[in-house]
Amino acid sequence: MAWLTKNSGTMQIERREEPYLDDALKAKLEAEVIIRYPDRRAAMLPTLHAVQHQVGWLPLQALAEIGAFLGVAPSEVMDTASFYEEYWLEPKGKYVIWLCQSITCELLNRESLMQKLQAKLSIKPGQTTEDGKFTLMNVECLGSCGTAPCALVNETLHEDLTAENLDQILDALE
Amino acid sequence: MTPEELHDVGQKHREQDAKTPHHVRVCMAAGCMSQKSDEIKKTLEKAIKEKGASDPCKVKCVGCMGLCSAGPLVRVDTEGQDSVMYQNVTVDDSSEIVQSISDGKPVERLVCDTNVPFFAKQQKIVLENVGEIDPDSLEDYISVGGYSALGKALAEMSPAEVRSEVEASGLRGRGGAGFPTGLKWGMMARNESETKYIICNADEGDPGAFMDRAVLESDPHRILEGMALAAYATGANHGYVYIRAEYPLAIKRLKNAIRLAARAGLLGHHISGTRFSFQIEIRLGAGAFVCGEETALIASIEGKRGQPKPRPPFPAQSGLWGKPTCINNVETLANIAPIVNKGGAWFASIGTEKSKGTKVFALAGKINNTGLIEVPMGITLREIVFDIGGGIPDGLSFKAVQTGGPSGGCLPDRHLDMAVDYDNLRDAGSIMGSGGMIIMDEESNMVDVARFFMEFCMSESCGKCIPCRVGTYQMHNLLDRIAEGQGTHEDLALLEELCITVACTSLCGLGQTAPNPVLSTLRYFRNEYLDLIGEQHIPAFVGQEASQ
Ligand SMILES: Cc1cc2nc3c(=O)[nH]c(=O)nc-3n(C[C@H](O)[C@H](O)[C@H](O)COP(=O)(O)O)c2cc1C
Ligand code: FES
Repeated sequence: MAWLTKNSGTMQIERREEPYLDDALKAKLEAEVIIRYPDRRAAMLPTLHAVQHQVGWLPLQALAEIGAFLGVAPSEVMDTASFYEEYWLEPKGKYVIWLCQSITCELLNRESLMQKLQAKLSIKPGQTTEDGKFTLMNVECLGSCGTAPCALVNETLHEDLTAENLDQILDALE
Repeated sequence: MTPEELHDVGQKHREQDAKTPHHVRVCMAAGCMSQKSDEIKKTLEKAIKEKGASDPCKVKCVGCMGLCSAGPLVRVDTEGQDSVMYQNVTVDDSSEIVQSISDGKPVERLVCDTNVPFFAKQQKIVLENVGEIDPDSLEDYISVGGYSALGKALAEMSPAEVRSEVEASGLRGRGGAGFPTGLKWGMMARNESETKYIICNADEGDPGAFMDRAVLESDPHRILEGMALAAYATGANHGYVYIRAEYPLAIKRLKNAIRLAARAGLLGHHISGTRFSFQIEIRLGAGAFVCGEETALIASIEGKRGQPKPRPPFPAQSGLWGKPTCINNVETLANIAPIVNKGGAWFASIGTEKSKGTKVFALAGKINNTGLIEVPMGITLREIVFDIGGGIPDGLSFKAVQTGGPSGGCLPDRHLDMAVDYDNLRDAGSIMGSGGMIIMDEESNMVDVARFFMEFCMSESCGKCIPCRVGTYQMHNLLDRIAEGQGTHEDLALLEELCITVACTSLCGLGQTAPNPVLSTLRYFRNEYLDLIGEQHIPAFVGQEASQ
């Protein structure tokens, strides 16, 4: 639920020496994103996307760095990042399987695929396998209802899924 | 580019094309692509090379050809002959197809009959280039008349004239609410400001909808041209396309299109040597349905949580960074270039009295032909479901069609002969919405459908206003209880009362329309609720049932 936020009052932030938002990325964002907007805050979503792309997810330290970079409070960065489902505030697996849970896929038996995935990977939606290879997620309509049920694996769309071809798709991933 | 230069580029490209007597078009929209149409293209090219064909033959990537359920689709166009469409093509069919081109005899076993109502009953305006041109080629778009509307407007028309054509066309917004586009643009033009913004709403989030995705993937320049025309007509100078991050292919094609158009001087400073300047940026969404609502979308571009604001002020008065902002849906913008080219009166001649033009629908669910269709407004639901859609599979019977996604409703068979337009759908308790049409057969359980959409609204509620945040949660609880066979008559009464409260008091369209699926199923399928409350229990959702 988008409106639930974490109680972070007593939270300790894990920190590491080198910054997540490094100078190279900063320079790139300045030149390619920030320059295009009337204020720095507008670059929030693209910056979150960029850091997430580089790091894989958004650690709290990265949120604080983004706050300093864009001139907004860290809590506001958290506020924005936690609102959107696509930002990862926890590490995710190498492959994220987004199985569509919307109406057409549901009508066409996506539930059995979900069961199958859970059994095969021994995880529930929202979790990551121990080896860090797969994360399983539910997602809203992927706009492929004509060929439902479907799933996005990272950026590749797979349609007309069955228990068999789903197996093949996952087994083919390194 | 000036209109003359555009004409020359188009002419040259057409002449070039005419030198190749055979064109093989391979669908490269996400649907067919996920079935390896990119590899089919490669093997086709290889087969052509190996054969060293005497007649030149070119393989072309095109966008969605519509019949997604029969993909991958390949079409062979030979000059002076009827086109041949092939369905369910695999990599292994490539050499046979290439052989058939030189033999002049189609591969019968793969042929997809295009003389069927699925193709014959459609009328294409928005989708006219979709499946015809290569979305990654600017020249292809120009050769079918692309950017000529922009050229014409800049050279011959004043902004007010462009607006009056759009007004005369009677075009209504395709994003859901059906607000007249000409009126919106007029409001925007009246608000003086040095900076104004045009936003293309490509956040398509309704479950069951994939029209905008297909247009963006198959004909991205059409949207850019529509945005530029909107900017010219309303005095805007910056544009944003707000697109879902879940559409990676559409994003890639759009980025490429923007780059090509800017390089050709069709976007940027002093377009066509005039004083008109306009640039377009892409902004990715981040998985929040509510960001499709216009004020939430603006907040998201500003870098904030995507939460809506009360209107007025309307975005056309005070939108992005407080500047006048015009937000239009992808399909709305795709209609603009033809309107400017052919005139508002031409557009207004199609459709019904109050709903003009065509509408693209995404057919999905329990129907034989799933895919993308474009039909004139005023067509009946029966024609869509049974002629174009080919009816219900497995010998089952039709039960309901869901339109408008989570803001719409389910219509039963007695509405099948209703003419589809904004007003009829609303009167029947659903809405046009963005164009998703989900067909349900006799096995579908309507209480579960209502519960499904309520769950969607509950989890997508942004939480800003209480009626929506708490109301959707409570309504979902009640529906859950009823669907599990534990509900009472009091629960049902409470549910109905809550529906009205949430609809009347929510801040934005999400909450205001969230009760619609419940209200419409109560109106047409009340017995199913009553059965669940009474003694009998009907089996649960088809999906779950089958998986057990
Ligand atoms: C919850 C919610 C979600 C919406 N999602 C979309 C969407 O995904 N795409 C869209 O074009 N309009 C969407 N709209 C409608 C927009 O607010 C807006 O009316 C529309 O983009 C205006 O464009 P039009 O006049 O061309 O239809 C949504 C509205 C609401 C309330
Ligand atoms: S419902 Fe799954 S893609 Fe639309």
